[in-house]
Amino acid sequence: MVKATEDRYEQIKRFESDLSQCMKCGFCTFFCPVYQEERIEPSVARGKNMMIRGLLAGDLEYTKEYAGRLNKCTLCMTCTANCPAKANIPNVIVAARADTVRAKGLKFPYNIIYRWLLPRRTLFGNVVRFASWFQGIFLPKTEGTIRHLSMFLSALGKGRNIPQIAPRFLRQMVPVVNKPPSGVKTRMKVGYFTGCMTDFVLPDLGKHIIDFLNRNGVEVVMPKEQGCCGAPVFLGAGDFDTGRKMADTNVKAFEDLDYVISDCATCTSALKDYAKFLADTPERKEAYAKFGDKVKDISQFLVDVLKLPASAYQPSAQAKGKKVTWHDPCHLSRHLGITSQPRQIIKSIPDVEYVEMPNADRCCGMAGTFSIYYYDLSKQIADKKVEAIKSTGADIVVSSCPGCEIQLIDSLLRNKVPVKVMHIMELLK
Amino acid sequence: MLEKKLISQLRKIAGKDAVLTSKEDLNAYSYDGTTTWAHMPDVVVLPTTAEQVSQVLKLADENKIPVTPRGAGTNVSGGSIPIKGGIVLCTTKMNKILNINKTNLTATVEPGVVLQDFNNALAEQGLFYPPDPQSFLGCTIGGTIAENAGGPYCVKYGVTKQYVLGLEVVLANGYIMKLGGVTVKNRTGYELMMLFTGAEGTLGVITKITLRLLPMPLANQTMMAIFDDMAAGGQAVSNMMASGVVPAKVEFVDNFVIRRIEEMTPMGLPVDAKALLLIQADGSPAAVEAESAQIVDILKKSGAKEVRVAKDADEAARYWKMRSAGFAAVFGAAHTVMAEDVAVPRDKLAEFIRKLDEISEKSGFFIQYLGHAGDGNLHPSIFTDIRNKEEFERAQQTMEEIFETALSLGGVLSGEHGIGLEKQRFLKRAMDPVALNLMKKIKAILDPNHILNPGKIWEEERV
Repeated sequence: MVKATEDRYEQIKRFESDLSQCMKCGFCTFFCPVYQEERIEPSVARGKNMMIRGLLAGDLEYTKEYAGRLNKCTLCMTCTANCPAKANIPNVIVAARADTVRAKGLKFPYNIIYRWLLPRRTLFGNVVRFASWFQGIFLPKTEGTIRHLSMFLSALGKGRNIPQIAPRFLRQMVPVVNKPPSGVKTRMKVGYFTGCMTDFVLPDLGKHIIDFLNRNGVEVVMPKEQGCCGAPVFLGAGDFDTGRKMADTNVKAFEDLDYVISDCATCTSALKDYAKFLADTPERKEAYAKFGDKVKDISQFLVDVLKLPASAYQPSAQAKGKKVTWHDPCHLSRHLGITSQPRQIIKSIPDVEYVEMPNADRCCGMAGTFSIYYYDLSKQIADKKVEAIKSTGADIVVSSCPGCEIQLIDSLLRNKVPVKVMHIMELLK
Repeated sequence: MLEKKLISQLRKIAGKDAVLTSKEDLNAYSYDGTTTWAHMPDVVVLPTTAEQVSQVLKLADENKIPVTPRGAGTNVSGGSIPIKGGIVLCTTKMNKILNINKTNLTATVEPGVVLQDFNNALAEQGLFYPPDPQSFLGCTIGGTIAENAGGPYCVKYGVTKQYVLGLEVVLANGYIMKLGGVTVKNRTGYELMMLFTGAEGTLGVITKITLRLLPMPLANQTMMAIFDDMAAGGQAVSNMMASGVVPAKVEFVDNFVIRRIEEMTPMGLPVDAKALLLIQADGSPAAVEAESAQIVDILKKSGAKEVRVAKDADEAARYWKMRSAGFAAVFGAAHTVMAEDVAVPRDKLAEFIRKLDEISEKSGFFIQYLGHAGDGNLHPSIFTDIRNKEEFERAQQTMEEIFETALSLGGVLSGEHGIGLEKQRFLKRAMDPVALNLMKKIKAILDPNHILNPGKIWEEERV
């Protein structure tokens, strides 16, 4: 709770230039995936920004409706990318979520999940496993992975295609230090940040990435102390206090490493966002910024840092002879500006045909907890993505964000479109 | 506040989700594209059919509740602000393109269709709808009819009203009236469609629109001319027009915008240039080639320091993007930006620009302007701060001087934005009093209870 002496709008005020930059032209209405479905002004960046201005002016209060409108944003950044004034309204929205949490606290069960469960990695893993026992009873088993793990329990029963939890987690499968096999010279040593999804649901992907890096002369360290990136906590829910604890844990876990590789666009971008949103002291600011610089998306690492030759990209058995299209995760394309590297990798693979989908960087509508709160809306946004995928005639749609991938699996199955969803690294041998 | 009973009646008409009442949601319908105007409605209704619009208006008329029709709220006149509270009747959910007829060269749309969505659908069929207000990414076609909007293309192709063939309008009493048709020629009685085109939602609510289309021009060529003197740029436009060439677009950008754009998104513009003219010729490939050569020649003879002819579509797109970012460059520049919309006869453009310089010097206010030089429509802006009462008042006086100057040159108060709230203080000076009175009488006939967008266009008489 906020003490009377504290500034009620401390976080929003840090982004005052974004808040005031909007000159209400309304161009964002054309690009916002949420507005495009709902066609009401409170959905779009301009409306949300004006609502926050209204709060600061004293015209509005912290109400259920306020929190609801604030929550209904995927943070896809399409508004900012197309804004003539380059106003970053998602910054303001995240900050406003944080001020709301400080003023009003978190609601059950999110307070338990975010503040207590997510920061405790082992316990969280066990809860997920416990839940997985029930999954077989309540839901049909499907291919792929579950929806956002932090929301696993509340996700139950909403009728989506929720796939299986791995029998063994990645952290139980591999050691901390993974050295290149004998005969391969060690060129570099990197830390591997495994998002919750890779750890608990896609351990084989994690194992595959470690093997791939090892074979290309990269020693991979997987610190067991690492935890959740915190995206659902500080970006989604605005709980900066808990987010800071998670940030400190991760920064410390990777202290001695020069690079931190991540296979999840959301995690990558969240780790880099620590400095922007969570740095409350000069020490944290420095530590978070330094950490953020070390974090690399896997495709960015392979192309820009490791500079692998095209011959390093050989097709996996499942990719061979297939037509492949790429979905840009918002957190990779607009948040981090990474669009050419994954395409370069796919195009380098022999015996794989690349085809670009229309509006490849359009949000898939997952956005973590957003899809739990607003499942119907999330599905509508995803259906546009399904149409785009269908139009390419691709056999496989690849991405680099387990969140997007879950959404794509669910949406393609729901629409009965037989296109396989894969992580970009699964294309590689 | 409206009675609970009325709200539930509105819900019954339009559906529960189509009626917004929370303070947070009302706040989102309290503003438009202007900097300072704002007023909260009591309720927002988002109908999906003309029948629903009719029932809402009937209910409002019976209970004398103000109704402000609204599209996407991108207008810059205060026109869609519910200055008297009441109902905001928002058409954004009526967004179906009902028909595109390539043989008739017509299209019929619902009012909430976004102009760019419409343009995209037309482009697929090689068709073209010229009116291009620079809010095309947000604005609804209904809104462009109500505001009789214009844009860069209007030099050659005219404004919105020249494309309206048919309208369906719901009157204040709820009657759904059909006007015009789908033929290009139609001489049946008074041109009543024109009454609703540009009426800013004060006479009826537009629920269906039939528009005239053109085939997409086969070729186009973009040119950019750099001037050391703003008035010389204005003179170049007059010279061009007098020579018999009518380019598709002739846009004017001043040094302030050039520098701001270079700051925001560097694209290699000459930051020391006093003015840029951005010109596009279009038509058949042969005609475009001949016209472009003629335009380049005239620009050079008129004192252009440099003329760039876009080598490809990419370069052309960069220049036009710069133009459409122009207003963002301006609006972000100060707390309060008074951006106006005067138009002068084309042959008075250079003189007008010189007089603006004099006003700027005398008043001490920097006057920024960009606009559609080809049709004499400029958007002079004064940067000020409404919180500084003394300065703001002086800024208002300076703007009045600009209006007076434009009027004295045979110009008009508003070229394309409409009067709304923003310019109503000046209307009396810009209109024949008998004509103004006639407007009020027409309003009284069509909307006797004054429920439709009350408080707009003319100032209310103080009682």
